[in-house]
Amino acid sequence: MTTARRDGPARLGNPVLLGIAGPAGLLLLIELAPRIGLVDERYLPPASRIGAALVTEAGTGVFWTALWETLSAWALGLALAVAAGVVAGIVIGSVPVLRALTASTVEFLRPIPSVALIPLAVLLYGTDLGSTLMLVCYAAFWQVLVQVLYGVADVDPVAFETARSFRFSAWARIRYVLWPTALPYVFTGIRLAASVALVLAITAELVIGAPGLGREIAVAQASEAVPTMYALIVVTGVLGVLINLLARTGERRLLAWHQSVRGEVAL
Amino acid sequence: MRRLLAGLAAVVLAGSLAACGTDSDKGTTEGGIDQVKVGVIPIIDVAPIYLGKEKGFFSSRKIELTMEAGQGGAAIVPGVVSDQFQFGFSNMTSLMIAQTKSVPIKAVAAGVASTGEAGKDFGAVVVKADSAIKTAKDLAGKKISVNTLKNIGDTVTRESVRKAGGDPATLNFVEMPFPNMPAALADGQVDAAWVVEPQLSTIKAAGGREVASTFVDAAPNLTVAAYFTSSKLQQSDPDLVARFTEAINESLTYADSHPDEVRAVLASYTKIDEKLRATLVLPKWPTQINEASVQRLSDLGTTDGIFTGAPDLEKLLP
Repeated sequence: MTTARRDGPARLGNPVLLGIAGPAGLLLLIELAPRIGLVDERYLPPASRIGAALVTEAGTGVFWTALWETLSAWALGLALAVAAGVVAGIVIGSVPVLRALTASTVEFLRPIPSVALIPLAVLLYGTDLGSTLMLVCYAAFWQVLVQVLYGVADVDPVAFETARSFRFSAWARIRYVLWPTALPYVFTGIRLAASVALVLAITAELVIGAPGLGREIAVAQASEAVPTMYALIVVTGVLGVLINLLARTGERRLLAWHQSVRGEVAL
Repeated sequence: MRRLLAGLAAVVLAGSLAACGTDSDKGTTEGGIDQVKVGVIPIIDVAPIYLGKEKGFFSSRKIELTMEAGQGGAAIVPGVVSDQFQFGFSNMTSLMIAQTKSVPIKAVAAGVASTGEAGKDFGAVVVKADSAIKTAKDLAGKKISVNTLKNIGDTVTRESVRKAGGDPATLNFVEMPFPNMPAALADGQVDAAWVVEPQLSTIKAAGGREVASTFVDAAPNLTVAAYFTSSKLQQSDPDLVARFTEAINESLTYADSHPDEVRAVLASYTKIDEKLRATLVLPKWPTQINEASVQRLSDLGTTDGIFTGAPDLEKLLP
C-alpha cells in the first residue's frame, strides 16, 4: 500500500538531487569502465558513445514507430488485463463458493511465467501485436486479480450487512461499499501490472520479434550495432521510470480522498 | 450446483483471458492483389526480398509483400504451416528436419548459397588470433559454438573436420546466438565459433582467424537456405505460389548482380553500420536450388543422426 507522506529524511539532503546523483554516478562509471580498460569497449561502449547512438536513433522514424508500437502494446494489454482482472476479481471475490473453487487454479496459473507461453502465443497469434498482447495480458491479469481479491476480502462486514439491511441492490452494494474499499488495492494492482506489462511487452518483442523496441534491440544486436543496442536498452529503462512515476502520481491524484492516501487514522 | 459453479468459474477465467487476445489476420485478396506475409530472419541472406520489394518485383505481380522479421527461425516453420505467413525463409537442414517429421511444407525458390570460395564465404569457423588451432583438424576435442545444435552449423563443421583428417565425433558443440559469439570467443568461453556475417567480419576485424570455410567444405556451391510454403497453399493457390517464385527469382538475380544496392538495402532492415556494410562478404543468390548439394547436406545430416529418417527431397524440393 501507499504509505502516507510525512516529513521526509530531511537530514540526508534534497531527495531530487540524490535521485539525480544515482544515475549520474552510473553514467560516470559506464563512461570510465571501458576507457580505463575494465571492460572491452566493443561490448560495453562508453556512455558518451551510447548517448551519441541514442541521438542518431532518435533522428530516425523507425525508432519513433517502434516506441509507439511498444507503448500501444503496453497500454492496450494493460487496459485489457485491468478490465478483466477487476471484473473477475469482483465476481470471484464476492461469491465465497467461487473463490474456494478457483483458489487452487489461480495459485496454479499465476506463477506460470508468461515467457513460457511464448510458443503458444506464436502458434495462436503469430509474430504480431496479438502475441505480445497475450503475454502482457497474462502476466498483468494476475497482478490485478489477486489485489482485487484481497480488496474484496477487506470489505467491512458490518458496513456490507448494513447496506444489505437498507435493501441496497447488489449493484449498489458493489458500487458504494465494495468498490471504494477495494479501490486502493485495485490501484496497487494496476501499478504492479503496469511495470510487469512493460517487461513482458519488451520481452515478447525481443524474443518473438513482434514489432517494437524489443525487436529493434534484437536487430541492433544481430547487426553488431552495440552502442545502438545499449541506447535502446536505456530507452526501455527510461520508459520503466516514467510508467512508474505516472502510476504513482495517478494513484495519489485519484485516491486523494481515500484514507490510505490522506494519511489519517482510520475509523 | 457445484459443477455449475465450476463451469461458471471456468467460463469467467477463459473469457477474461480470451478477451486479451485479438484475431490474427490472414492473407486476403482485395481487388485482385494478394496480401502476402513472409516470415524471415532479419539477416543479410534475405536482402534480395527486401530489394525486390523496393524494386516493385512483387507489386508488378499483384503481390503486396509484408516481411515478418522474427528473431531466429524457430517461429517461421510453424507460422507458415498455421497460415500466419504464406511463405517463409529457412535453412535447408531445418526444412529437411521438418520434412522428416512430416510437416507439410514445400520449397518454392532458392534462398541463399555459399560463394563456393574458401576463405571468402559468408560463414566459417573462426578462432582467436593467438589460438593454437591452425587447421580444421585441430578442432578435434575443442569447444565450438553454433547458433542451433543438431542443425546446419554442426553438420558442416563436422564435415570440415572430417575432410581435414580429424575425428568429428570428438567435437564439443555449444549453442549460443550469433551476436554473443564475438565476446564468447574473445573471453575464451569457446575455442572456436561457427559464425556468419556480420559477426564473421567483426571477429576477423578483431584479429580472429578463419580455420574452415564450412559451406565450401560441405559441397560445391551449397544451397544454404530456401523460401518455402505450406503444401496446403501450394495446392489451393498454385497461381500465387508461381507468381511469388517468379518475383523471388527476379529479386535473387537482381541482387546477385547489384551488390552495391544490396549493401544499401541492408540499412533499411538491419542496423549494420556503414563501414561494416561496405566490407562484409555477401553470399551468392542463384535462382536454382543446387539439388546435389542439398542431397549432400541430407547425407551428412543422416550420418550425424540429426534426422529421424532420411529426408524425402522429392517431396521437399520444387
